Amino acid sequence: MSECRKENLAHFAVTIIGKDRPGIVADVTEILYRLGGNVEDSSCTMLGGDFAMILIVSHPKPFVKTRLTEEFRALHATGLSVYVRSLHENEVCYRSPQGELCMVSVYGSDQPGIVYRVTRELADRGINITDLNTRLIGTKEEPVYVMMLEAALPEGLTIEDAEGLLEKLKKELKVEISVRVITPVSL
Amino acid sequence: MSERTILLYPDPILKTVCLKVKAVDREISAIIGDLVDTMRAGPGSVGVAAPQIGVTLRLCVVDVSKNRQGRENNHGLLALVNPEIIHRQGAAITREGCMSVPDYTGDVERATGITVLFLDEAGNPREIEASGFEAVAIQHEMDHLDGILFLDRIASLKTGLFRRKRYK
Repeated sequence: MSECRKENLAHFAVTIIGKDRPGIVADVTEILYRLGGNVEDSSCTMLGGDFAMILIVSHPKPFVKTRLTEEFRALHATGLSVYVRSLHENEVCYRSPQGELCMVSVYGSDQPGIVYRVTRELADRGINITDLNTRLIGTKEEPVYVMMLEAALPEGLTIEDAEGLLEKLKKELKVEISVRVITPVSL
Repeated sequence: MSERTILLYPDPILKTVCLKVKAVDREISAIIGDLVDTMRAGPGSVGVAAPQIGVTLRLCVVDVSKNRQGRENNHGLLALVNPEIIHRQGAAITREGCMSVPDYTGDVERATGITVLFLDEAGNPREIEASGFEAVAIQHEMDHLDGILFLDRIASLKTGLFRRKRYK
């Protein structure tokens, strides 16, 4: 985001999850539309047999969280769980991570701790995860865990550094880990 | 020659199909100069198309020689007038961004090798074979001449990798 021009808006983080079916997004956004709210950034996806929505919602001030919570109550009847939180100004006006963006693929035989060990290693070096997906695939006899994540490297840390620090984990966990640069090209 | 302001979407010019250049005359040379200056001024920019500076003519400039991904394989500064891709091969996905669509990037599939026919800055016909990052940049800029933005070509959401059914 290049500038912050949101003084007159109240912002909320909204999380909605429930058994997947056609119409969840339409039901949720219909409520927001009628209220005069806006969906700003959002990410919605199927997780297992559920559908999960994470939204940043804004509404012209004055507007209170309880109003939103009440309006969303209708969704409970359709089996959706809803969570709403008010956002502070410093969450609304933020600075995107600036460093080199990399994609990390991790996959191998399923075992406890893959996500934890990899992300702890990244966190300890100040590497900021911007997106992460995991999925259990393979067969019942041979379950395979796949994790894909995108992360911004801090100033001064190279892609080779990141590769190096994951190399040890690769051996220890006996999983495949590869790192590559995906910094967008400005055209 | 001077740096020009980059038009931002939703400026309708960015969705316009541009007209062929009739002749590479002084007026066209001046536009090429402006395109180059505008490209040089854009942080990390490797190309600008005429409609991005408000000119609805089929010309663009590309220079990936200073970019990490293009440094080793390029034709230097290219002014492409009435460019046409007469052959394309291969496909690869690149995370693209565009000066006319700030704050958004997406994965776009482009040919990895292209043969391009065009008039150069002196009006001479040329044919080049571009590959890798230079080919991506040329295809991105040429799309502007048809009113196509990279948003029209997003190949997958970031999570697309996971959305494929397993094949037995």
